[in-house]
Amino acid sequence: DTTDDGPAMLVADRVWLEGRSRVTAEGSVEVLQGDARLRAARVSYDRDTDRLTVTGPIVLTRGDNELVLADAAALDADLRNGMIRGARMVLNQQLQLAAARLDRVDARYSQLTRATVSSCQVCGTRPPLWQIKARRVIHDQEEKQLYFDDARMEVMGVPIFWLPRMRLPDPDQTRVTGFLIPSIKRNSQLATGLKVPYFITLGDHRDVLLTPYVSAKTRTLEWRYRQAFAKGRIEFAGAVSRDDLKPSLTRAYIEGKGHFQLPRDFRLDFTLQAVNDPAYLTDYDYSEADRLESEITVSRIRRDEYISAGLAHYRTLRLNEDTDTIPSIIADASYERRFFPKWGGEVRLSAENHSHLRYSDTLVDGTDDDTLSDGLDLSRLTVGAHWMNAWTLPAGIRAEGRIGVDIDSFRTVQDPGFPTSESGATPSAALTLRWPWVRHRNGVSEVVEPVAMLTWSGGSPLNVANDESTRVEFDEGNLLTLSRFPAPDRRERGGQLALGVNWTRIDPEGWDARLTFGSVLRRAPDTNFSASSGLGGDTSDLLIAAQLRNRAGLTLTARGLFDHKLTVNKAEARASWSSDKLDLSAGYVWLSADPAESRPVSVSEWSFESEFDITRTLRGQLAGRYDIAADEPISAGFGVIYSNECVDVALSASRRFTSSTIVTPATDFSFTIGLRGFSARTSGGTVARSCR
Amino acid sequence: CGFTPAYAPQGGADTLSRAVQVRAPVTRNDYMLTRQLETRLGRAVAADYLLDYTLTVQDERIAITANNITRRFNLVGRASYTLTTMDGTTVTRGTVDSFTGYSATGSTVATRAARADAEERLTTILADQIVTRLIAAASAT
Amino acid sequence: QQTAFGSGQVDPDQPVEVESDELKVSETDGTAEFLGNVVIVQGEMRLAAPRVLVVYDEEGERIKRLEATGGVTLVSGEDAAEAQRADYDIDGGQVVMTGDVLLVQGKSTLESQRMVVDLNGGTAQMEGRVRTILNQKKD
Repeated sequence: DTTDDGPAMLVADRVWLEGRSRVTAEGSVEVLQGDARLRAARVSYDRDTDRLTVTGPIVLTRGDNELVLADAAALDADLRNGMIRGARMVLNQQLQLAAARLDRVDARYSQLTRATVSSCQVCGTRPPLWQIKARRVIHDQEEKQLYFDDARMEVMGVPIFWLPRMRLPDPDQTRVTGFLIPSIKRNSQLATGLKVPYFITLGDHRDVLLTPYVSAKTRTLEWRYRQAFAKGRIEFAGAVSRDDLKPSLTRAYIEGKGHFQLPRDFRLDFTLQAVNDPAYLTDYDYSEADRLESEITVSRIRRDEYISAGLAHYRTLRLNEDTDTIPSIIADASYERRFFPKWGGEVRLSAENHSHLRYSDTLVDGTDDDTLSDGLDLSRLTVGAHWMNAWTLPAGIRAEGRIGVDIDSFRTVQDPGFPTSESGATPSAALTLRWPWVRHRNGVSEVVEPVAMLTWSGGSPLNVANDESTRVEFDEGNLLTLSRFPAPDRRERGGQLALGVNWTRIDPEGWDARLTFGSVLRRAPDTNFSASSGLGGDTSDLLIAAQLRNRAGLTLTARGLFDHKLTVNKAEARASWSSDKLDLSAGYVWLSADPAESRPVSVSEWSFESEFDITRTLRGQLAGRYDIAADEPISAGFGVIYSNECVDVALSASRRFTSSTIVTPATDFSFTIGLRGFSARTSGGTVARSCR
Repeated sequence: CGFTPAYAPQGGADTLSRAVQVRAPVTRNDYMLTRQLETRLGRAVAADYLLDYTLTVQDERIAITANNITRRFNLVGRASYTLTTMDGTTVTRGTVDSFTGYSATGSTVATRAARADAEERLTTILADQIVTRLIAAASAT
Repeated sequence: QQTAFGSGQVDPDQPVEVESDELKVSETDGTAEFLGNVVIVQGEMRLAAPRVLVVYDEEGERIKRLEATGGVTLVSGEDAAEAQRADYDIDGGQVVMTGDVLLVQGKSTLESQRMVVDLNGGTAQMEGRVRTILNQKKD
């Protein structure tokens, strides 16, 4: 029993001793015992019965989570047992329980007879927004539960339902078996349904959440299983459905993830995604994935050493793809080690093995997007050794030099167009010069930094399939690099000069800004670059990137690739604004048409997501996504969340316009009402209304 | 016009060279951010400063097709950093953020390679922004 | 009704015996000052103090009032009380103890700044931020 058993202390302004056994105290009387504290106008203590007779106004507190106001009480001296009259009990400064009589037993149970329970503000004589009236309520402080007998729920004074027995968690409860907040969900395909989540704790380290979802069109059980281990945790979620959309089929999906700490600082991570019907995930809005990825990796990451090995499996849900002809089994292993020899600089050794396999064995290219044979399987090993160092030259030029070699060896099967094995070396050397100039004027700092990188890479291109480097990007992150191809199946070779200039403005009081220009000049164009990548020709597109940030929480970041006629090849921008009243994030992208990237027409889209305060207790949500090129909306959504000190009401509607043979446009509508004050998740920290 | 070379002898930025010990990495993104910071600042032999950072990266779908295929992802990164002397007094702090995009219309392996490359580009951008702000702070004192 | 303090047999007419190391008598104002280990006994009640001033009635035969100072201990039956000063009005049957009063009754103690014991009514009243430990009967 955690409560302190020590003797109770009484303090008062005046104390009378009457007879041998009666002590009466008056004048701001206080009785203190363990974490319990009673304040009253008058207390008389009978030594023989060890009982206190208390006359109000009484304030009894236990710790900082329980407060009882009452008119009169008869308690034992350690305030653990006894009867209190006209009690009003407040749990966690939020849930109020008023009762004609409150009996305390062993400082654990409080039994309230003819009780009214609510967490709502009570203004004058108006009934609170909601209250639960019960013949009896028992509060079990150890289990943190409230048990109601003969309970009647009233909203604004109007009784709406009656339950013979009911159990609710007290505001301190963070984890207990029981019903969570139900929600009404209306979906144009599945009609109106009800989701009633039921949470089951299986000991301290495991729990299951079962959510039956029933509507006129579907009988579904959603589930989630979580388990924490000493050295890791796992979480699985899924659903099983019988519905009128596909009556002949029991549809199901499963998603899982987890990680474990392994010996010697290694770590294992896994993710799992599987579904038995391609349309299931979008019909029920369980996931937006259009390719199901399951992967397991073991890795160790240290300052000077990176080790990672993983196996992945893909299943595509895209209509223009077939799981047999896409690389679906992928194995990756990579190792990097950084040494810092006494004679200076850094020696960086790396090794990477990658292989991927397509189920199909056909030796010719079918109808899929790539031009490789449908059965092509490939395995490659790259070993690299590079030395690099940085110096500060006179006049403040910062130089970085690097020299090294990468040896690639490929093994390609089931594609007669390529030799089974092919390998080659790529020596490379590069010198990067940066010349940062700074200016400081009344608190504002500016940095102008011209940069130049002269690179030479030898070796000749390998006759291997381009399976991994078909989507190349060009931005400030790879302006200064040896090769901008994402995988070694293509490498930039020959000489090239990358030039750029950065301007940065830093003002702790005002706005920050950044502007970058960059371009790459090369001796000979590289035909592996697609037109829209901006890296074709002997002079790349001009990269312009900019960013603006102000103190009000707005951040605007944008970049574009402009070709010689200053027409845009690619433009992307992102804005985010977070202030206490508004959270907004918006994105824009424009990609020029490029058949090599299977983009017959230009792609352009803007999207935004926002949440904002409408009033102190009302919060709005708006989201939208619009395909500018196709001039049609992709999705739109709005939501309203009303939350005050005793109730959370969430209403949201969203419409997805996309359609295909497996995806049908759908409008989702969901509505939840949650009572605040029961369980820690919903209690505390909200805007209390004031009485008007 | 008031500009002076930051790494010139009286510029102040060279005090950072080989003098900053960057935080040890936990994730692959941390590894690339620490590696780029150490490459730019020079690996500290006897460090005078500690550079701590917290890095968050989230991805967002963008360019959704009419039949609900995600053609592109944005990786949105934010790094907040603090430069302190060895005894813990803060020299400067700040946050930097940016995003990089990668296309998901290629094969599965092309998308995986593009994503890994986008992560590397993002951490390079964030590291370069941190170094630029450290140069500004070091040359201001 | 049991008396709250002492065993209740204290009768103001009982003789008061006083012992001390030294005695100074002042004829003029009818008082006597007992000094050094003064012990006063009246029936069940026993009062000890380093210094007691005794005030006699006009005729000089009966003690009207006692003023004990310098740290007083009063014992009556099983109860005991300590204080810096005690004034015993014998005719009024009232003892007023002031200054760090500590009353011990069986297992429980009460502390306060002032205590008034009414020997006739058998009550005791303590004032001035009284503090007491309510003894717990361990079951």
